Amino acid sequence: MPQKIQIRLASHRVSTSVAVNQRYPKIFTPGEVITSQNEFMRGHGTYEENSDLKASVAGVRQQVNNLISIRPLKSRYNGEVGDVVVGRITEVQQKRWKVATNSRLDSVLLLSSVNLPGGELRRRSAEDEHMMRQYLQEGDLISAEVQSVYSDGSLSLHTRSFKYGKLSQGVLVKVFPSLIKRSKTHFHNLPIGASVILGNNGFIWICPIINNSEDGASGFIQNLEEVVPRQDRETIGRIRNCILSLSQSKMMLYDTSILYAYEESLKYTVPELLVQEAMVDVAILTQQRLCMLEDT
Amino acid sequence: MFTTKVFIKKTRIGNFLKNVREHYIRDDIFCGVPSCDKCTPVESFLSSIHKNECSSYDFNHYLILDTNVILDQMDVLDEDVIGNVIILHTVLKEVKHRSLPIYKRLHSIIENPSRHFYVFTNDHHKDTYIKQNDGELVNDYNDRSIRKSCLWYMDHLPKEKFIFLSDDVNNRNIALEEGILACSIREYVSHLVNGAALEDKLSRKDYHIDSNTKDVFPPHLTNVELLNGIKEGALYQGTFRASRDNFLEGFVNVESLDDPVIVQGRTGLNRAVDGDFVVVNLFNKEDWISPSEIVLEDDGVAEENIDEVEKKERQLKKSAHKKKGEIKPTGRVVGIIRRKWRQYCGILQGGMDGVYQLFIPADKSIPKIRIETRQAEFLRTQKLIVTIDSWPRHSRYPHGHFVRALGKIGDQNTENEVVLLEHDVPHSQFSEEVLSCLPKLPWIITEEDEQKRVDLRHIDICSVDPPGCTDIDDALHCRPIGEGRLEVGVHIADVSHFIRPGTALDLEAASRATTVYLVNKRIDMVPDLLSSNLCSLRGGEERFAFSCVWEMDENANILNTRFHKSIIRSRSAMTYEEAQMTIDDKTKTDSIAESLRSLNKLAKILKKGRLEKGALVLASPEVKIQMDSETMEPLDVEVKKLFETNSMVEEFMLLANISVAQKILEDFPECAMLRRHPTPPTSNFDPLVKAGRHLGFDIKIESGKQLAKSLDDAVKPDNPYMNTMLRILATRCMLQAVYFASGSLQKDEYFHYGLAVPLYTHFTSPIRRYADIIVHRLLAVTCGSDCTYPDLLDKQKTGNLCQNLNYRNRMAQYAGRASVAFNTHLFFKGKLQDEDGYILYVRKNALQILIPKYGLECTLFLAHKGETSNIFEYNEEDQTQKAGDVVLHSFDPVKVRLSLNSDNIQHEKFVLQLVSPCISGFSVPPLSEIEKMEVVDDKKRKSANDGHKKKNKKRS
Amino acid sequence: MSRNRDLLSKIGLRLDGRRPDELRRIRCKLGVFTEPDGSAYLEQGLTKVLAAVYGPHQVRGGRSKAQHDTAIINCQFSMAVFSTTDRKKRPRGDRKSTELSMHLQQALEAVIKSELYPWSQIDVYVEVLHADGGIYTACVNAATLALIDAGIPLKEYVCACTASLANNDVPMIDISHQEEIIGGPTLTVAALPMSGKIVLMEMSQRFHMDHLEKVLNKALQGCKDIRQILDEAVRLHVRDIGSSTGWANTS
Repeated sequence: MPQKIQIRLASHRVSTSVAVNQRYPKIFTPGEVITSQNEFMRGHGTYEENSDLKASVAGVRQQVNNLISIRPLKSRYNGEVGDVVVGRITEVQQKRWKVATNSRLDSVLLLSSVNLPGGELRRRSAEDEHMMRQYLQEGDLISAEVQSVYSDGSLSLHTRSFKYGKLSQGVLVKVFPSLIKRSKTHFHNLPIGASVILGNNGFIWICPIINNSEDGASGFIQNLEEVVPRQDRETIGRIRNCILSLSQSKMMLYDTSILYAYEESLKYTVPELLVQEAMVDVAILTQQRLCMLEDT
Repeated sequence: MFTTKVFIKKTRIGNFLKNVREHYIRDDIFCGVPSCDKCTPVESFLSSIHKNECSSYDFNHYLILDTNVILDQMDVLDEDVIGNVIILHTVLKEVKHRSLPIYKRLHSIIENPSRHFYVFTNDHHKDTYIKQNDGELVNDYNDRSIRKSCLWYMDHLPKEKFIFLSDDVNNRNIALEEGILACSIREYVSHLVNGAALEDKLSRKDYHIDSNTKDVFPPHLTNVELLNGIKEGALYQGTFRASRDNFLEGFVNVESLDDPVIVQGRTGLNRAVDGDFVVVNLFNKEDWISPSEIVLEDDGVAEENIDEVEKKERQLKKSAHKKKGEIKPTGRVVGIIRRKWRQYCGILQGGMDGVYQLFIPADKSIPKIRIETRQAEFLRTQKLIVTIDSWPRHSRYPHGHFVRALGKIGDQNTENEVVLLEHDVPHSQFSEEVLSCLPKLPWIITEEDEQKRVDLRHIDICSVDPPGCTDIDDALHCRPIGEGRLEVGVHIADVSHFIRPGTALDLEAASRATTVYLVNKRIDMVPDLLSSNLCSLRGGEERFAFSCVWEMDENANILNTRFHKSIIRSRSAMTYEEAQMTIDDKTKTDSIAESLRSLNKLAKILKKGRLEKGALVLASPEVKIQMDSETMEPLDVEVKKLFETNSMVEEFMLLANISVAQKILEDFPECAMLRRHPTPPTSNFDPLVKAGRHLGFDIKIESGKQLAKSLDDAVKPDNPYMNTMLRILATRCMLQAVYFASGSLQKDEYFHYGLAVPLYTHFTSPIRRYADIIVHRLLAVTCGSDCTYPDLLDKQKTGNLCQNLNYRNRMAQYAGRASVAFNTHLFFKGKLQDEDGYILYVRKNALQILIPKYGLECTLFLAHKGETSNIFEYNEEDQTQKAGDVVLHSFDPVKVRLSLNSDNIQHEKFVLQLVSPCISGFSVPPLSEIEKMEVVDDKKRKSANDGHKKKNKKRS
Repeated sequence: MSRNRDLLSKIGLRLDGRRPDELRRIRCKLGVFTEPDGSAYLEQGLTKVLAAVYGPHQVRGGRSKAQHDTAIINCQFSMAVFSTTDRKKRPRGDRKSTELSMHLQQALEAVIKSELYPWSQIDVYVEVLHADGGIYTACVNAATLALIDAGIPLKEYVCACTASLANNDVPMIDISHQEEIIGGPTLTVAALPMSGKIVLMEMSQRFHMDHLEKVLNKALQGCKDIRQILDEAVRLHVRDIGSSTGWANTS
């Protein structure tokens, strides 16, 4: 299929900035002294030198009681317990899977942290260890939740809920983790006919509406036979492009913003949404609607 | 501090590469005009007081110059009348690119506050910078930039007037159209108040060419043709060297050919001037000739007349013959890549009326130059400086213009000036800046100094120098230290203590490189206070020295060497003669006498050892001129007398130099300043070997040692002077000894051929040689009494310095010789004498005669110029001239009559006539001996002490 | 020396019109790519450099390399074929790029707080798009920006600057290619401008001791000036992103 590819000179590129003029907090950059008073505790993004507390990343200051930290606007995923992540199996080991989750070390999914077919309370036998690859193998995508954080910073995941598990038909979009807005739920069945999982680690999964009626054992079933209707596929593609537009303009991603972007994008065809101007246009219009929403 | 400026890319296509350069445009460049209130005042020599007065403009104005004006009319700009000139950076860059010497001259004017010049950096100024259009030639672009700047100045300062001087008609016209006041330099100068004298100095490039004038020279090829020719190998490029004896002959030294290419005749030379970088076209092999042996002089008097040249050309052609083995590549000059024109000293040729005059340069290798002047009458009595501007095809002579007059012809001072100028010797007064670097008087030795130096004041040190020497830079001592050992010390004036690196004094000394000795004048390298006082190791005074002290045994073997700075008090400053008398007088037994005797003994051993190793004893006739102290006229010319003590001092100086060379090379393998004497190529020895063969001696030249030995063996009892003559010939075979930085050559190239030592340097005469100062500094670092500075350790810089030193040394030597020659001429003026002489060379139409008494070498013509003699028969094989039964060989003694021919005041020549052997029809009878004796006696009675203070030790 | 071309005209301007203590124009941009964790583009005069940072991430290829107490910093330097006037194939891993990679690594290791990331690895890739003198300095400066963009904790900025002597007398900074060729020795310094620590110093030829100090001081001053420029760019970038995201996730 012939595709239209646009390549432009750097000087002809469109500015993707949708920044709204507003007051901005004080920005710290690496090496800058935050405070010389020593009653504070140093948090992330800070370090102490010559009894000065200094920033080690570029970002804004956050203070919780005595704890001062500098939050960079962009970094690798820093997992916290309870986060929803989307990840890819990279290795099958004894009693555990290694999962790439865009954090600085690979995460693990222990065999004991998954719901195996045959009920929650089933004993894990040696046979199960041999069967591991049949449940999840290298390259499989899963959704999971952070169960705990090890001392070296790596994450332990679990899928002990019916919502988590192996992902089947859909599209993965990678964005910077900081663009995912933390909210109560990261699973959204959008009214426009698609389901979105906004992984806290910046991996976003878009798929046809998930029918929740099936029971939890579905965690390891992948139905690749079922044909997704064209309309659904188009919707999924449009959502993907909308997410890319928003992410390019560094806008936060959550259900409302995606929904607004989707609505604003309707004047373009799906392929047109890959053109710079259209992407920026969608981002700007979305930004405006979100602002109005905030104002009201 | 960093301001982002509008930023324009500059591309330069060359070799099909695209080069992109940054070019920043600034807003902090100012106009420099004092009356301006818009700009921040900057350092600018433009003056509100200076007025340019030109009758064609009735207002005060500033001048803006075009590049061509600066390149062609530098001599006019040198005059003080013109001031308040704005030099645009575009112009400055172009000048620098086109001619470095002119750039340097321009720069020295710009630096001079009293000239009121200002450099405006127009190409980085935000308002005057313009972009080069596509396809626009660089020249057009520069012209446009210049006009843009003129307009900017006019707009920037409406109250002031600016006049744009350009000799480019096109540019001028466009400028006028744009409303810029513009005129040519010629027009401007001719209307200049007080500018009459300047008109002569205008460069003449704009001669009107009459269409009917006949072309005297064939045209040059175009640059493209030349380059293609060179590329294809059809043409060769090289430096043109004119012959001094034959104005219609020259050589081109081509790198790729072994032999220089001979070019002959008007069309062969085709307007090449000595030093030019030219392109030659080689003839077919059958047309090759050997160098002509006849002497031809340009007697042309008129610009237009070329008949006489043609006659000479025919004569040359006739004489051209093809000697076997001497046939050299022959060709003709077809183009000139780079002119090496400079300023020339000389005089006007007499007998010409009108404004056009012919100028005869003192340098015989330079053709006569046609100049235009309105003051010919006056200039005829003067020595002048003239420069060449152009050499069009239709003109027999190059066109030039008068630069300045030096003084009356024949005047001592004028002649000295000429000698100095011709040899490029810097001889102006020391500047205030230089003098300010001198120590304040009274100079005292502080305690600090005493701590840093070894106190040798208790040792009996003395110096031995020629009489009248005021710059004593070495002193000696010798004392027994038990166990049969001797301590020998050479103490050299510590000049580097006074001349600190990087000061104005240091730079000046480095540029002068050496003290130049003329017969009646000394041009010091360092100011008098240092050379004759503080540095001079005078008798009885406490002085700083750099000492080289050896422990030796009785057989002059060195047991131990040390170097240190010291304080000494010379007991006595002796002359060679006095020292000799002290040694010989057995009744004297004081420590000085003893010390001298020991030194003398050691020196003899050292010399013997040195000669055994193959050091050469060479000879060159050196003369001393006795001057009348009042009239400054030469009284007598005599060959220098040598004592044993001369050799004694020389030996120890050599030893010190060698010891120091070893030391500094050890510590500075990359940047030690050494002196080497390259082994001459065997072909250089041809004349010597040939001459030896005729006399029946086999001169071996394979090594220095063999040469030394065969020279020693070549003795004929009946002709004692013959050996000396051979040595004179040998000296002429040698190459020049040169300074170099040790890192720039391989170790085996360090060799000093003449002295037969592997390492040598100059350490012992820092007062009169700059190389010694550098060596002192290096040595001071090795013995911890001084620290280094960047340039001292820079191989490249040392190399460059060496080049200057070598050049200046050579020039100083030539200048000294020229001065002796002039004074010898002066001495012989109006005299007629018979003298003994020897035949040095036998030539086709002449004999080269050496007169040892005066160290003179003259030509005895056997026939009138350009004619072959009907009396003499020349035998080329044996190098003899035969007349009847008299055969003249090389080295034969003859008697000649000596007189001075002053027809050509610039080149006074000795005229020789043969007295004996008697050849009827050619030789002249001896002068009446009695008459002559009387004259000489008379003179001798008047003879006073020698009036000149020349010190000319021949060491190395 | 000076081979009849003065690097500094008598009026005190360099060949390109700068004064001795002026930097070339520096333009830079952070976050030019989406794929790497951090990226930056930097122009220093005509020298143009891209830098990309991946990580910190799990050490790939042989776990044995991983360190239990610190992260591995891996730098890769390369030059585009079209980066110099003569087009030249530049294989990765030739002597020059290996050397520059190592020097880059040395400079970055000094500032990255790598002890925070045990068992991990940080990859820094720099690509020279146009070389016009001071390649190394541009690479260091661009890499700093890319690291900041990636949110990797640094002690402070690490900046690099070159300095040389004009006419063997006047120190000048930020040497262009033209000046490198006709000039004398060039001093390259990578420093932490705020604390004044020098992390790397390299000379193309020997300097005399007398000159070194003043040249070094100029180079350090140059580093400080560069930090100023980079800092401004970082602040602008942070402000821009912050405004777009509405400072979410940060307060």
